Amino acid sequence: MMTMENTPMTAMAEHQHYETPPDDLIAWAKTAILLGMGVYFGWLLISGNLNYYINQRFAWLVVVGAAVFVLLALVNIYSSLSADAGCRHQHFQIGWDILLIAALPLLLALSIPSRSLGIEAVNGGISLNPVGVASQSALQRSPLDRNILDWLREFERASTPAAFNGAAADVIGFVYREPGFAEDGFMLSRFTMSCCVADAFAIGMPVSAPDAADFEAGVWLRARGKLAADDFAGDYLPVLFADSLEPIAEPQQPYLYP
Amino acid sequence: MRIDALPSPRSSLFKPLLMALLLVFFLAATGYQAISSGIDYALVLGVFATRFLGIFVEAAPFLLLGSITAGLIEAFVKADDIYRLVPRNRLAATVMGAFLGLAFPVCECGVVPVTRRLFNKGLPVSLGVAFLLGAPFMNPIVFASTYIAFGFGPVFIGRIVITILVAVIVGLVIGTFAKPGAALLPLSQQQDHPHDHHPAPTARGKLLQALQIAADEFFEMGRFLILGSALAALMQTLVPQESLLALGTGPVLSVLFMQVLAYILSVCSTVDSFLALAFVNTFTTGAIVSFLSFGPMVDIKSTLMFTGVFQKRIVLYLILLPFMLNLLAGVLLNLLLGY
Repeated sequence: MMTMENTPMTAMAEHQHYETPPDDLIAWAKTAILLGMGVYFGWLLISGNLNYYINQRFAWLVVVGAAVFVLLALVNIYSSLSADAGCRHQHFQIGWDILLIAALPLLLALSIPSRSLGIEAVNGGISLNPVGVASQSALQRSPLDRNILDWLREFERASTPAAFNGAAADVIGFVYREPGFAEDGFMLSRFTMSCCVADAFAIGMPVSAPDAADFEAGVWLRARGKLAADDFAGDYLPVLFADSLEPIAEPQQPYLYP
Repeated sequence: MRIDALPSPRSSLFKPLLMALLLVFFLAATGYQAISSGIDYALVLGVFATRFLGIFVEAAPFLLLGSITAGLIEAFVKADDIYRLVPRNRLAATVMGAFLGLAFPVCECGVVPVTRRLFNKGLPVSLGVAFLLGAPFMNPIVFASTYIAFGFGPVFIGRIVITILVAVIVGLVIGTFAKPGAALLPLSQQQDHPHDHHPAPTARGKLLQALQIAADEFFEMGRFLILGSALAALMQTLVPQESLLALGTGPVLSVLFMQVLAYILSVCSTVDSFLALAFVNTFTTGAIVSFLSFGPMVDIKSTLMFTGVFQKRIVLYLILLPFMLNLLAGVLLNLLLGY
């Protein structure tokens, strides 16, 4: 079994030591970080960039987060300014290293432009399997309103890839190619997201079009055409034979929510 | 309050060295990814930043709520109360720990600061560990999200039973074999002694104090959350999810891989049920249940947060024991359901 001997107390005190700049400076740096976080969370909500990071249904979390950050910053300002802040229980000394780590999200958010996961985030291929379980409303969508996830669910439920021959489809997504694909073929792809980008998952449907090679990987397209079962990179699948490929801007909500 | 001695040369060198090493590792890993995939380095960095900020933005509100709870405990709960309420019997106390989440609804980010404050107030180690492992699931919010996602069935019941069993067993093992001094870092040990009479401040003063502590707590635990989120984002940028999914078949391997996935993804327990729905078609029921019971107990970011409370050796046990026990439970469930 395990043995856990007693370590002498003196040996354990080492993690206590931090190089501490003057207390006021630390207190104001803490306030600045808390306030900065509050402003950043608020900005994510207002700018709509929150869509790049978490599922919309959890946006209320960010509202709560922004409010608490600002509240804590105000309390810190109040106690820094008030004379009788003597009863502060500073069990823990905050040093430059902790402040630096705490500022890391803000530094990254400021220095790297915020963007959604795109083609370069596809790591290990695109899945043809749908993610999650469809809601009733998603199943009742008319064929022309179906997005890529809806179509993959339909493909999975069908007995044969040929079941959709002749069906019209109108979908958007970004272009993804693999070495084995034919000249006129690519996958039109989207990321799905259940909670936040931690669980983002790339799915896609095969598209074939004479002008397919005109579009670079990663470009957002609207593809319209008819489905037909065909050979695609060695598999017999429903393929969207597109009459029209139209470049579009990345949508406001780049991800699909399963 | 503790009076620090002069910083020893080792500790003052150790931290910058460790941070420099982490930075080098980060640059090497992302650089390798950029070269091997032929993608521009700035884009690889962009993907990392998006994943990192996504995890942080979703987890930070929960850490804040946990920090405020910890602050309120510090200001309003006295060691006497803990001493009075905790059963003398270790088994009873540990079982109480597994259910304590019903009183303190916190997820796996918020539970760590709360547990640490309760340890400060003299909470027994076994009870605290059972609370730490159990509470992220054993609370009304996560019950609701699991019920909405899966209904009342094998997943919901399995998640409750396995979580309680694992939390109690690990709590008992660590509580029995480790003394508080050997399990907890000095800062997590009892600070407030029963029958110690501080002058009683006003309620307003206490509230202010609670919020100040909450802010400190956010910084202290937040650094682990931030480093953990960065590590999780790095892993996700480097390890293809598809390769994990492709390996996950069979009654044993599926459970193993879902647990590894839960550890790497580090998704908050309040929302992981919706994520698990995505895997229902691909994975065995045992694997789904293990994903849901193991994930809230331990993941990359909570591992780092544990290192702020427990001695390193205990942190290792806190990862390995739940991993093994959940694996066993998931495989047994699969055999029971006949995969």
